[in-house]
Amino acid sequence: MNHVADLLFAPARFFSALEGKEPGLGIPALIAGIGAVISALAAYAISDLYAGMFAAAGTGMDMGMFMGLMGAAGAFIGFILLWWIVLAGAFHVVSVPLRGKGSFSGTLAATGYGLVPSVIGSALSAVTLLSYLPRITVPVIRNIQDPAVIQAAITEMMQDPAMQEYTMVSTVFTVIFLVWSANIWIFGMKWARKLDTRNACITVLVPVGIFIIYLLATFFAKGFFMGGS
Amino acid sequence: MTVYRVFPFLLAVLLLFLPAAAAEQSQVAAAQVMVTNVTLNPQVFMVGDSGTITVEIINNGAQSVAIRRATLYDEKIRVESRAYETTMYLGAGNRMTFTFTVSAPVPEGIYYPVFSLDFRDAGYLRYPVKLRVQDQPLTVAVLSRPDTFTDGKKEKVEILVGNPRDNAVSGVTVYPVGEGIDATPTRHFIGLLAPDKSQNVAFQITPGKSAVLEFHVDYYNGINPHTETIRVPIDVGKSKVQAEPILSNLRVEWSGTYYTLTGDVTNAGLEPANAVVITMGQGAVPQDPYRQYAIGTLQPDDFSGFEVTFTVDGDRTSVPVVITHKDADGNLYTTTYPVDIPAKGTRKPAAGTEESPLPVIAGVIVACAAVIGGIVWYSWRKR
Repeated sequence: MNHVADLLFAPARFFSALEGKEPGLGIPALIAGIGAVISALAAYAISDLYAGMFAAAGTGMDMGMFMGLMGAAGAFIGFILLWWIVLAGAFHVVSVPLRGKGSFSGTLAATGYGLVPSVIGSALSAVTLLSYLPRITVPVIRNIQDPAVIQAAITEMMQDPAMQEYTMVSTVFTVIFLVWSANIWIFGMKWARKLDTRNACITVLVPVGIFIIYLLATFFAKGFFMGGS
Repeated sequence: MTVYRVFPFLLAVLLLFLPAAAAEQSQVAAAQVMVTNVTLNPQVFMVGDSGTITVEIINNGAQSVAIRRATLYDEKIRVESRAYETTMYLGAGNRMTFTFTVSAPVPEGIYYPVFSLDFRDAGYLRYPVKLRVQDQPLTVAVLSRPDTFTDGKKEKVEILVGNPRDNAVSGVTVYPVGEGIDATPTRHFIGLLAPDKSQNVAFQITPGKSAVLEFHVDYYNGINPHTETIRVPIDVGKSKVQAEPILSNLRVEWSGTYYTLTGDVTNAGLEPANAVVITMGQGAVPQDPYRQYAIGTLQPDDFSGFEVTFTVDGDRTSVPVVITHKDADGNLYTTTYPVDIPAKGTRKPAAGTEESPLPVIAGVIVACAAVIGGIVWYSWRKR
């Protein structure tokens, strides 16, 4: 329990404790897995909207359930890939010119540990989604043969005021908890890649900064990021 | 001496009997004159008609005959032309015709005006001419017509013209007359109509309002013009067979930005409904993607689904759906159908119209940001 507290509130002490030890990927993978499951559950909850959208087209609930399962699988894999593997890869690549030393498994482990705040953010975002779901108005699709109609209906649902409000809230949660994760990742990169504080900040803040800019740009472009926390 | 005394006596006797012999000879010659042909135009008169009677005579004898006067007379049949008063000779084997103009202001029946030929030297010839007066006009009947006329819609009206008379009539023309009525063709020319024959003519009638449509049949009996008329009242209303689109299976749903009306439109009439288009009427504002829904042709008893999208002005609870279709002539028909829409209270409220969780969430966000800020600061301070 102390380890978890150290990870969240005193990451320097947490990673100091790991100094000299072989980085294990079990716990980081478990953390990433929990985050992936939460994202998958959120995506499946959203499938309820799609089920209502396609119900009038005579497809019954099967179409909505299928889309829900596909969305959940996508969100699960997307979280593992994007939030753990890709971010760790980005940290590792950025740290190379900064004379980073250490294996990629160490970077993966440090990135996985740093995902704990983001998983908390995902859980908060999922709870928020439950309060917004009943308020989202779902357009009706009667002709699933027409892709333009489906596209228009999905766009309309995304532009629903409740959906936009949820998107904004979800984005803000993601950014705030991403800052917390970034803080842990800085200390993690110092441990995993043997970097000084300055280079560790550069290693983490460049990819995270780009990611945050991407999230904000997507939000202001009125898009919707399905794999978000 | 005796012969001289007898000769004057014989001469006197001869002179006494010579004229008598000549008169007997003229009578024999006149007896050879006979009527060979009588022609009436028209063959059968109508009451009041004028016409001509032409009598042809022939002299079958070997001597010419002197004719002093030829005339026609009757107590009831009026002879309009004068008698032939000039003395003329009808040579042996020759023919001669006499034409008289007559009128028949008499009731229906058979009359016998007498043709009279007076010979100068030998009495006269009397010949009754048979003249029929038939008070029987052409018969006009409506063969087919729609039960109800529709304003501006072309309908077919078929007319039968029959000739029950014993003679043919000529120049038969049929044409419709009526206020605000457009007819195609404007008139039909039949021409000669033989006795006991009939002829069908058809008109395409387009009424502009309720009126009385008259079909006039003009014709000539000889030189006499006659007209028969049949009246067809036209009540402009709803046709019994016209296409009748009706809506069913209606469903109105609010999709957040507009209403979606779906349903079926069925042609409950007996004629095809062409170019069927469905849109919203006053009080509703059509919206994309289905401002209008074009269905096309609906055969009788056929139906089709449709979908229109719209918003409403104010707090209306009912909006009119407008169905337009055309008949085979291109006339446009509009049917309005009121449709109830869900009351505002039953719509899913948009964000901000009910108590939004945003203030609470914003508080959570601020708290999280503050805590995370504190954690970050704390983690660096501990270093």
